[in-house]
Amino acid sequence: MSSKNSILSALKQSALTAHPMPVIDIEVTPQPLVDTFAASLATVAGELHQQGGLAALQAKVDELMAQGLQVLSLVEGVSGNRQVPNTAHELADIDYAILAGELGVAENGAIWVSQTQHRVTPFICENLILALPEKALVANMHQAVNQVSLAQGELGVFVADHLKRQILNKHWLWGRTVHAAFRCICISVIRR
Amino acid sequence: MTELYSASGSKVHSHKADIFCRDETRVDWHSKALWVLREKRDRAAASIPEWEQLRQLGSELKLHTLTHLTDYLQQFEQQCQANGIVVHWYKDGQEHNQIVLNILAKHQVKRLVKSKSMLTEECHMNPFLEQHGIEVVDTDLGERIIQLAKMPPSHIVVPAIHMKKQEVGELFHQQLGTKKGESDPLYLTRAARAHLREKFLTADAAMTGVNMAIADKGAVVVCTNEGNADMGANLPKLQLHSMGIDKVVPNMDAAGVLLRTLARNATGQPVTTYSSFYRGPQQGGEMHVIIVDNGRTEMMKDKILAESLKCIRCGGCLNTCPVYRRSGGYSYNYTIPGPIGIAVGAQHDDTNSIPWPAPYVAVVLMYAQLRCH
Ligand code: SF4
Repeated sequence: MSSKNSILSALKQSALTAHPMPVIDIEVTPQPLVDTFAASLATVAGELHQQGGLAALQAKVDELMAQGLQVLSLVEGVSGNRQVPNTAHELADIDYAILAGELGVAENGAIWVSQTQHRVTPFICENLILALPEKALVANMHQAVNQVSLAQGELGVFVADHLKRQILNKHWLWGRTVHAAFRCICISVIRR
Repeated sequence: MTELYSASGSKVHSHKADIFCRDETRVDWHSKALWVLREKRDRAAASIPEWEQLRQLGSELKLHTLTHLTDYLQQFEQQCQANGIVVHWYKDGQEHNQIVLNILAKHQVKRLVKSKSMLTEECHMNPFLEQHGIEVVDTDLGERIIQLAKMPPSHIVVPAIHMKKQEVGELFHQQLGTKKGESDPLYLTRAARAHLREKFLTADAAMTGVNMAIADKGAVVVCTNEGNADMGANLPKLQLHSMGIDKVVPNMDAAGVLLRTLARNATGQPVTTYSSFYRGPQQGGEMHVIIVDNGRTEMMKDKILAESLKCIRCGGCLNTCPVYRRSGGYSYNYTIPGPIGIAVGAQHDDTNSIPWPAPYVAVVLMYAQLRCH
């Protein structure tokens, strides 16, 4: 018997009796989405810029480039000084990646990013800037998981919590974002 | 020191706990550090009015999945295949390790970067691959620390929790060439980042564990705080994901519930830094999912043990359990220590549960207190 069949046939001897799928009906606490999102993002050490939209973002990018930093932008209307390379490995020296955030989650400050080409882009850059339309905010993860895109061959990721400092107590070492981007800046492209 | 970390074999929990308890200061800070996590968890839980409801939903949806596992596993396989993912099924650790080796050999892999997977610990995969000439690099900071120190994990979420930063400093000095006597966490973390970045960029393949496998999407979810799973899985063209049969969930709704509880229960974070959903290989790449039983169907035959398969490995019960906090992860004789380890390790190692009933009592108490199940 193949391993698959032996697993499936062993499962027939399970001692558990059928349990129905529970109805997931969590009520959404009414709250101003932008303010809650901003507060959540602040607690996870992300930065939120709400003024000026894409023009302000381009101005920021211009500043970064003037400092000689390597900026890759995949957001339409914002241009950096690097093009999408042939191989993912060539992204290793990117200082800032500017990507589109598809959805922001107010309860935890997470932002959904999906990537098909060079899926390592949101992770390998030193800093990540996500441009998020203000209307793309939802209250919680229940709403979020139903709205995100996740096409075949795609990596979709909730990016959150970019505590720059390493969390530690007296004796204890604990790295967050040890390997991936150190900082997440979220630009809300629509003015309040 | 060596005795403390290398204790293994069939000695019972109380004896190993004795060894850990000889250094009372260490016991104290170990206990305190974990209690910090527990307190953070309490604050995170209290901040959500629907917390109890979420726990109940999580418990029920896992139970539902376990009682319909055949259907969900098959659906998961079909959906994965439709997404171009190769799915393998294996009965035990040995079979699992062999197929991993075969896949790696086929691609002439010399270096594998790996992110945290308790399953591969369970299967003792690293030593097996190393025997066959493959360099396995654990990339989670804590995992890398214990790998360099040649120790097993002592906790399922914070695997190097038993080590002081001074010990890490000395280890890095010897192995990575950091400055002698330097134990500044930022300095050490930067050194680890540089060291591991080089490994990521030169890896031939990546392997991760799986936090959830979504049946109706054919996708796997991997949660990390460090981004190491994603640095790995998206640089080399070959990605492998190993999962126990208990990791499947029906759909995105189920994943939404568990994502809300996992990090809050583990570390008090509202969500892990990266919750990544992989639905197929990268362009020009190959993605394999390896589904492993390794004793789980046996556990399913026992009503109580079967319930422990609802566990999402958040580590909350370890942080809560006074026995674990004061006896250390190496006192348990099984890869997964603490209350949940006693339950899931019961079939592998009688010494955990039978001759020494206290941890067993602790299991019951912790389940009752956290009510994660
Ligand atoms: S048994 Fe322990 S590790 Fe598993 S879900 Fe419950 S608290 Fe978390």
